[in-house]
Amino acid sequence: MSYLEIKSLSSFYGKAEALSNVSLSVEKGEIIAIVGANGAGKSTLLDSIMGMVKQKGTISFDDKTISGKSTSHIVKQGIGYAPERFSLFPYMSVKDNLLVGAFTAREKTKDNLAQVYSLFPRLAERETQETATQSGGERQMVSLGRALMSSPKLLLVDEPTIGLAPKVCNEIAVSLRRMRDDFGLTVVITEQNANFAMTLAERIYVLEAGKMQIEGTVEELKSDNRLIEAYFGT
Amino acid sequence: MLQILIQGMLLSGLYALIAVGFTLIFSIGRILNLGYGAYLMLGGYIYFWASQSIGLPKLVAVGMAMIFGVLMGIMKFQLIVKPLKGNHVAIEISTLILAVVLQAGVVFVFGDSSKILLPIVNGVVYVADAPVTYNMLIATVSSWVILLSLYTFIRTTDIGRAMQAVSMDTKGAAICGIEPDRVNMVTWALSGGLGALGGVFFASYTQLAPSMWVGPLIISVAVVIVGGIGSIIGTLIVAHIVGFMEVIVVSVFAPELRGVFTMGLIILVLVLRPQGLFGREEL
Repeated sequence: MSYLEIKSLSSFYGKAEALSNVSLSVEKGEIIAIVGANGAGKSTLLDSIMGMVKQKGTISFDDKTISGKSTSHIVKQGIGYAPERFSLFPYMSVKDNLLVGAFTAREKTKDNLAQVYSLFPRLAERETQETATQSGGERQMVSLGRALMSSPKLLLVDEPTIGLAPKVCNEIAVSLRRMRDDFGLTVVITEQNANFAMTLAERIYVLEAGKMQIEGTVEELKSDNRLIEAYFGT
Repeated sequence: MLQILIQGMLLSGLYALIAVGFTLIFSIGRILNLGYGAYLMLGGYIYFWASQSIGLPKLVAVGMAMIFGVLMGIMKFQLIVKPLKGNHVAIEISTLILAVVLQAGVVFVFGDSSKILLPIVNGVVYVADAPVTYNMLIATVSSWVILLSLYTFIRTTDIGRAMQAVSMDTKGAAICGIEPDRVNMVTWALSGGLGALGGVFFASYTQLAPSMWVGPLIISVAVVIVGGIGSIIGTLIVAHIVGFMEVIVVSVFAPELRGVFTMGLIILVLVLRPQGLFGREEL
């Protein structure tokens, strides 16, 4: 069984089906990207893994079933999440945001905080600043840092580059790669930007209108124009 | 002048204590708990029953009132707030109706007439010729101690930070492994306990009556609307604005007008600055 395994997942908002029969598997130590246009269901897929959406199907992580479990249980199993629009605590300082992230791993707070600050030195410089007054790039760093504070083994990142300048996108890409190479994390990102996804990830899934359309390694997809077709919906 | 200052400080301290439980619920859930005054009423009556009817020591009676308030808060959360999740109007109307029902219950058990609550501590001290009862002094000092402890608790403990987190972004809190329902329950429990304690002091400042939940509710609503945000420091500041305004109105104009000015202030702020004096735009 794969490290993260999703089988026949369908997710619902009320009666509306947002994901239909999606399957996906991620091996330990991989970086994979889920690519799709706005409204394809990328955020729903990550929210579903975190147990925040009504769903059918099974999700297992590290040989344990996590579908049907509470979000806090899933966080304790070792999944960290940096969601769309960050969901930070705007009137709390950078440091307090990070400390809230340590809620389930309080005994490792000191080590994890040092790790986050080594990854994002800018957060250390601005640890007393309220996140409401920060730039998009800094907020993305706080969001990633907060997810790392729970000592995750798998990190889910929803659209890490949305709204960011190219230079900041590169910084984020470097830090995501370091999380895998230096800290041994498995990383799943979602992206609208297929080029960014292909430079960072090893394997790519293409999601379209709630259904998984294509799956393959970056090399396979580069020589296959279905990605471009599917992505632009031709 | 000095008398206005002293009376203003004392009354404001009491008002801050009364309002803090209400602002806590507002800041965490954006809910106006219109049944909040019932905690004060029941806290006052439980204290009356325990200390004056069956003669338990006063501190024990205060403790019993607070425990009762905590249990009330938990029950309200479990039976009303949780099932009506997200429907603020329904929650606000239900809690208001609950307060009316509880008032009827109090009339049934204790009778309609108002009762004099003996002071928790007897005695008077004169400050610059102004009489200050020990009772009021203790209410004010307790209020400051409780508010500062609460402030420290919310700022520096894990559960306090979790409370702030839930108030600012429920999804963000959930993905940090916090269970928002559990944090909300703790907040409702805390609010109930603080309300009941406020009720003991408020009843010994005025008198114990089945309708006594209305006045504190208006004060609490004023603090939230004028302050605009459920912060503890904001509560303290606005409680002082309302408290001093009442003392000045009573001593300069007429005692009958005290509540009128508070309500006038609510309307004025709603019209001129709906987000409140210290309200911030949500990001």
